[in-house]
Amino acid sequence: MKKEGFTAVKLRTIRYFFKEAFVNLFRNGWMSLASIGAVASALIIFGSFLMISINFDYIAKNVESQVEITAYVEDSVDKLKINQIELSIKSLDGVKEVVFVSKEQALEEFKKQVGEELLEGIENPLPNSFRIKVETPQEVAGVAERIQKIEGIEEVKYGKGVVEKLFKVTYWMRLMGLAVMAIFATISVFIISNTIRITVFSRRREISIMKYIGATDWFVRWPFLIEGMILGFTGSLIAIALLAVGYSYLYNMVKLNVPMISLLPLKEFNEYTLGLLLMGTFLGAFGSGFSIRRFLRV
Amino acid sequence: MQHIIEMVGVSKIYPGGCVALKDINVKIEKGEFVFLVGPTGAGKSTFLKLLFREELPTRGQIFINGKNITRLKPKEVPYLRRRLGVVFQDFRLLPQKTVYENVAFAMEVIEASPREIRRRVPKVIEMVGLSHKMNSRPHELSGGEQQRAALARALVNNPDVIIADEPTGNLDPDTSWEIIKLLDEINKKGTTLIVATHAKELVDAMKKRVLQLEDGRLVRDEERGVYRCET
Repeated sequence: MKKEGFTAVKLRTIRYFFKEAFVNLFRNGWMSLASIGAVASALIIFGSFLMISINFDYIAKNVESQVEITAYVEDSVDKLKINQIELSIKSLDGVKEVVFVSKEQALEEFKKQVGEELLEGIENPLPNSFRIKVETPQEVAGVAERIQKIEGIEEVKYGKGVVEKLFKVTYWMRLMGLAVMAIFATISVFIISNTIRITVFSRRREISIMKYIGATDWFVRWPFLIEGMILGFTGSLIAIALLAVGYSYLYNMVKLNVPMISLLPLKEFNEYTLGLLLMGTFLGAFGSGFSIRRFLRV
Repeated sequence: MQHIIEMVGVSKIYPGGCVALKDINVKIEKGEFVFLVGPTGAGKSTFLKLLFREELPTRGQIFINGKNITRLKPKEVPYLRRRLGVVFQDFRLLPQKTVYENVAFAMEVIEASPREIRRRVPKVIEMVGLSHKMNSRPHELSGGEQQRAALARALVNNPDVIIADEPTGNLDPDTSWEIIKLLDEINKKGTTLIVATHAKELVDAMKKRVLQLEDGRLVRDEERGVYRCET
């Protein structure tokens, strides 16, 4: 008996698959519209959560990147020694950036914060210091400890306690975002496989005839997979169009009214929606493959 | 001598314990015309289902053309079915396709070339005497004509065996007679035929080999047999 993998499909057969898929789409016109609507609404909900969760992540990253270490230098240390200290901090693992802040600069900044008049005529009480950014914010405690050990450093501050709490919050935010996404992906698969099951069910007779005639499972399956992919693609196209409009509206509104929060830029968001399009297409194929399984057993 | 179909010690017990066939031993030679008779529930349908691997036997071996079909992998089953043509009581034509398209469909499914399809389909439709209805849809045809179309579809890929399950079950006596004569013609051209039927008069008139099933057992295997249901 001749064996043939589904990879060895002839061009003519591929044309037949697409023809069948489109004929079915139009024959079950209302059903198709309902499926597209279901995919679109599932993906809009999913996309909205994605939007929220990636913005959580974006904001969390922003906040995390603002975490920095301040290392105060002992007053007795001279200029030359300060340069040496700067070099030894720079050579530490995990240090991204070191900025020296002199006594004078520190005073200037302080004046700006509290108002010039208040500090008039007082001798500068502020020490020389370094501001250090680390490569991964989560490593801040370790790096701070090592800086503390450098000779000539009086004190190191990095918001101990607060930083740890912040990381805990951003960790849970990310985890929740992932969980919500997983739940909505499952719901989407479910809706799609259910709607395609109805079109498959209405054609179960045809499928069983094909199987009796000697059609391979893949021959029966492909038109349905293509049909599912077209449904998923169209549905997600509608979803991402609406999401893009909605997001740009939201983005501009936040930018105008809450300037201290910066959301993920529009361009980057659109890259995510491209992924959504792929996902919708895949979900369509997966859903139809899932619902046809049962009818192939003849 | 190789038999086209051979069943060795075949039993079929459905889940739930219903015994459909019990220890069946049958050999069918190439070119034979065999009637499968017996009351409803005697196991005729199961017998046929085992042949085209819709069901697997619980015990025993089935050989078609010397190949043990109980050992086929699922993906080999389609290629077995291409060697068999199946005809059902309810015709099972696709309602939205014309007679021509229904027959051509069987060739498309096995990925025959369009040229071959255009050449072969009208020939087969002519063979079953349906040329004038080639472009009609099933609902525009009589029962007999639908069964002819189904036969054309079963024949179009040149199967070794045609398996017919109650092919005349939905037809009046005259039409049934025409279909049986058509089957006989097909058989004379060399195709092996296995026909499950209730139609006593047809079996008696044809004088072919008769296999009689009762309660899952093969109770009679007779050359040039008659129906003889306890009278």
